Amino acid sequence: MTALDTPTDEVTLTIDGVEVTAPKGALIIRVAEKLGIEIPRFCDHPLLAPVGACRQCLVDVEGQRKPITSCTTPIADGMVVRTHLTSEVARKAQQGIMEFLLINHPLDCPVCDKGGECPLQNQAMSTGAAESRFQDVKRTYPKPINLSTQVLLDRERCVQCARCTRFSEEIAGDPFIELMDRTSDEQVNVYREEMFGGEPGPAGSHSDLGSEPLRSYFSGNTIQICPVGALTSAQYRFRSRPFDLVSTPSVCEHCAAGCAQRTDHRRGKVMRRLAGDDPAVNEEWDCDKGRFGFRYVTAFDRITEPMVRDPQTGALRAAAWSEALAVAAEGLRRARDSSGGVGVLTGGRLTVEDAYAYSKFARIALRTNDVDFRARPLSTEEADFLAAAVAGRQGPTYAEVEQASAVVLAGLEPEEECPILFLRMRKAYRKRALAVHALAPFRTTGYEKLGATVLPCAPGSEATLLAGDASLAAALSQPGAVLVVGERLGGAPGGLSAAVALAERTGARLAWVPRRAGERGALEAGCLPHLLPGGRPVTEPRARAELAGAWGLEAGVLDSRPGRDTGAILAAATAGDLGALVVAGVDPADLSDARAAEQALDAVPFLVSLELRNSAVARRADVVLPVAPTVEKAGSFLTWEGRLRPFEAVLATGAMTDARILDALASQLGVQLNTRDVPAVRAELAALPATDSPRHPPPQVAPAPPPVPADGQAVLATWHQLVDLGTLQDGDDELAGTARPSVVRLGKELATRLGVGDGDPVTVGTGTGALTLPVEVVDMVDAVVWLPTNSPGATVRRSLGAAAGALVSVSVSVSVPVSASVFVSVSPGGSR
Amino acid sequence: MSVSQGELSKQTSIEFSEQTRDRAREIIARYPAGRERSALLPLLHLVQAEYGHVSPAGIEFCAELLGLTRAQVAGVASFYTMFKRRPAGDWLVSVCTNTMCGVLGGDRTFETLREHLGVGHDETTPDGTITLEHAECLAACDYAPVLTVNYEFFDRVQAEQAVEIVDQLQEGKRPVPDRGARLCPLPELSLQLAGFADPRPEGIADGPAGEPTLAGARLAQRHGIAVAGFDPETPIKPKEEDSR
Ligand code: SF4
Ligand code: SF4
Ligand code: FES
Ligand code: FES
Repeated sequence: MTALDTPTDEVTLTIDGVEVTAPKGALIIRVAEKLGIEIPRFCDHPLLAPVGACRQCLVDVEGQRKPITSCTTPIADGMVVRTHLTSEVARKAQQGIMEFLLINHPLDCPVCDKGGECPLQNQAMSTGAAESRFQDVKRTYPKPINLSTQVLLDRERCVQCARCTRFSEEIAGDPFIELMDRTSDEQVNVYREEMFGGEPGPAGSHSDLGSEPLRSYFSGNTIQICPVGALTSAQYRFRSRPFDLVSTPSVCEHCAAGCAQRTDHRRGKVMRRLAGDDPAVNEEWDCDKGRFGFRYVTAFDRITEPMVRDPQTGALRAAAWSEALAVAAEGLRRARDSSGGVGVLTGGRLTVEDAYAYSKFARIALRTNDVDFRARPLSTEEADFLAAAVAGRQGPTYAEVEQASAVVLAGLEPEEECPILFLRMRKAYRKRALAVHALAPFRTTGYEKLGATVLPCAPGSEATLLAGDASLAAALSQPGAVLVVGERLGGAPGGLSAAVALAERTGARLAWVPRRAGERGALEAGCLPHLLPGGRPVTEPRARAELAGAWGLEAGVLDSRPGRDTGAILAAATAGDLGALVVAGVDPADLSDARAAEQALDAVPFLVSLELRNSAVARRADVVLPVAPTVEKAGSFLTWEGRLRPFEAVLATGAMTDARILDALASQLGVQLNTRDVPAVRAELAALPATDSPRHPPPQVAPAPPPVPADGQAVLATWHQLVDLGTLQDGDDELAGTARPSVVRLGKELATRLGVGDGDPVTVGTGTGALTLPVEVVDMVDAVVWLPTNSPGATVRRSLGAAAGALVSVSVSVSVPVSASVFVSVSPGGSR
Repeated sequence: MSVSQGELSKQTSIEFSEQTRDRAREIIARYPAGRERSALLPLLHLVQAEYGHVSPAGIEFCAELLGLTRAQVAGVASFYTMFKRRPAGDWLVSVCTNTMCGVLGGDRTFETLREHLGVGHDETTPDGTITLEHAECLAACDYAPVLTVNYEFFDRVQAEQAVEIVDQLQEGKRPVPDRGARLCPLPELSLQLAGFADPRPEGIADGPAGEPTLAGARLAQRHGIAVAGFDPETPIKPKEEDSR
């Protein structure tokens, strides 16, 4: 509860003859709910500001001449309220409104996606009259119109409740849909120039998306809260009936926000996902990536059986599990016992249980500390930071961020990288004017929607600002302030060291927000070269002893020397110093130098890939072992807060968890892993003793002088856009169509020096390659150029082989930019 | 709020005169900081004054100046019938066809004008002089049936007089309304509605309530009819500040 709604005063009233005391200012409809009295409603939504648009919630209040709307009227002392349950006036009023609403409603429930879960249908049954007196012709419209590639609107079904438009403006901050026109022509729409005498766009130009499409990362929520079947998703439209679906509570696997969701399936196939209700995490919202991005599981290249590389043909061929496991075990044994050893790359998308299995497998079956979950730019400083300041710590939580006196963001664009954290911060900004400060090269739309004060900061200069900026220190010195650092801050030398020091100095709480759902869990599970499960430093004898005890190991089995990180493991592979690699869900294109990573995979003598789809790793592997996707297994994720988000399998298939496969592999190596099933892993994790060992010391890396761009050069700034080419978004063109266009952003000075303006093609290059995109001139730190990390036409890591902070060349391009047609959905295939 | 999130198809130049831009700034300056959005209605009148209607360029102009999305501007501009979405004539003839005027002759007047001018509701004569519309209650039922030309009243008008009025307008004459200010063409009027007052003294005309307006009140008084429980002294409560 915010300070504003803390009850300062209470009032007593009666509703349907029941006396009730409730905080002053509460709405009648909410207080009635607490008594178990459900007043019919359409526009009312507890998380949106009241409007009184639909009039369905009329109640009879003593002393009022006419029935009043219970969703907009605050309670008062001595008020006597009668709902439809006890008042004929209220009952008749509600029935009248329902009759009005149905006048223009098509009543096409038999072909409507909402039929069976529709508040209008239900409330027409509970509250409406059996017959309509309306004799005339109903309003009709061509069906449906696109509000975006994903969100469709059947206008004749709309009851003008304005839930969708209010959500877009209040919650998401994307007011691209509005109620247009008036009276019986009133309709929700995006802006279309035709409405004001403009020419409709040429055929085939996607003009059906309007002149200003609904470009929002949260648009799917409007479909879910629409109280009728007016809004549907292109993905789910006409695909199923609610009563044919089996619903399972689930947790989103896409990012570290950890949204509660509901997954609906029918006959073994997921039909849709909805936001779950979890006030502590995602309230009632989710983002479009999490809602719509689930078709990757059924992609054509899903691996369904184990494969081994045939020594004769050199090609992968299907194999029985027994054969594949034996070949894998044999190859790993040989590598383990040779001088090179085995490296383990687990990626950031595993469940806690699976990550734990890899951690344990590496330590006791492969006898190595060469394990790292980080499939992205990384540093030793980061590993030290994670061990010292993150592992084993709880919070700050969403609620603490919402209540914070100030929030400072470094290396994080929350709308793109942790959308539900963004929504929570936006809520705090709207409701209590939360002061947000962001270190960033320019003011993104996300920062704008948070009312953030942006401290202009070229990539690489974060440490200096964190260490020296007085305004940041002042903001963070207020009690309850939170310093939120994104995983990207690890790419700025000294940044994380400075963040720890700043939090220490000011007393602010420190949060680390990775992008992927499995990173925090992998950290706690010890998928790092110098960290064992539970934040235990490899180098601490006590930490090793604790774990050896828990795992029933002889002394000395656990290696006391820190292992190699992702970069070093791959470098060793390229140099021929590594015997084998075990790789889980890692896409080499995510590593800071994608091509170098692929060379390493090519070079390693023996490669075992535990994979879902025929990825760049699987294609190079000697043994491929198919694993279960999130939807087909139980597991848990940890949110960025460190909150455990356990979930059960949605679909019961034969697919096996990574942990189970590793258990089998380990037993071939003569080691008992005990990770066969999820409950067993959970029990083992729960039984791990709290550690007494000293913590890893925090990093103390000095800020590096920022790179100085020469003429024709700039410093690269880059991060992922939420909807992009990520492989977990494959298979949904409608979702891809809502992505933000790929552009290269640069500041006015640089634009002037180059002589370019908005839309002109600009080429950003390195020794590895170059990208050409239309330019967008923004208020940017000079000599910095921004690119989306993995969007159509902007595959930075593959094409440039560079990470944020690198020097790149910038020049005017003579060729035409590749992705000028930004509204056209991007077809998958080709580069991943 | 970014208006056009990374929009590439952004129109490059919005052609509005420097004078209009100055006036727009003047309008926005009338509102307290943080409340600039309130300037939208006068701004829409302003762009209508320059173009004769609210065009896509006008929508974009308002959106850009106020930091709104074009959808937000369009929602407002399409709600108020005073904003024309297609080029309108100099003279907007609005015939009240709501219940009171309708039964007293308004319906017939509208039909007659429609035939006479050869245009329907919200349509403009080919010579560009007159836009005809049927209107909801113009709040002059006491003078029913009424029509307005550019929002000035012609009281108790039957079809025949209405035809005369539009004929005069098409001939370039300016018939004199029964009450209120003299007529001026729609663009000029739009400018006035944007808050740039007509300098002519006769531009402002405000008389006492006329006899038909008072007739009802007198009758009620004579017979002691009053609204139950209505106290004219009831103070108006200020609305609570809405949240951000
Ligand atoms: S589309 Fe749905 S949510 Fe939006 S106004 Fe209409 S009924 Fe309400
Ligand atoms: S915010 Fe993250 S966890 Fe939530 S639905 Fe989106 S991707 Fe999934
Ligand atoms: S629910 Fe109260 S007016 Fe819509
Ligand atoms: S009905 Fe015509 S003015 Fe009221």
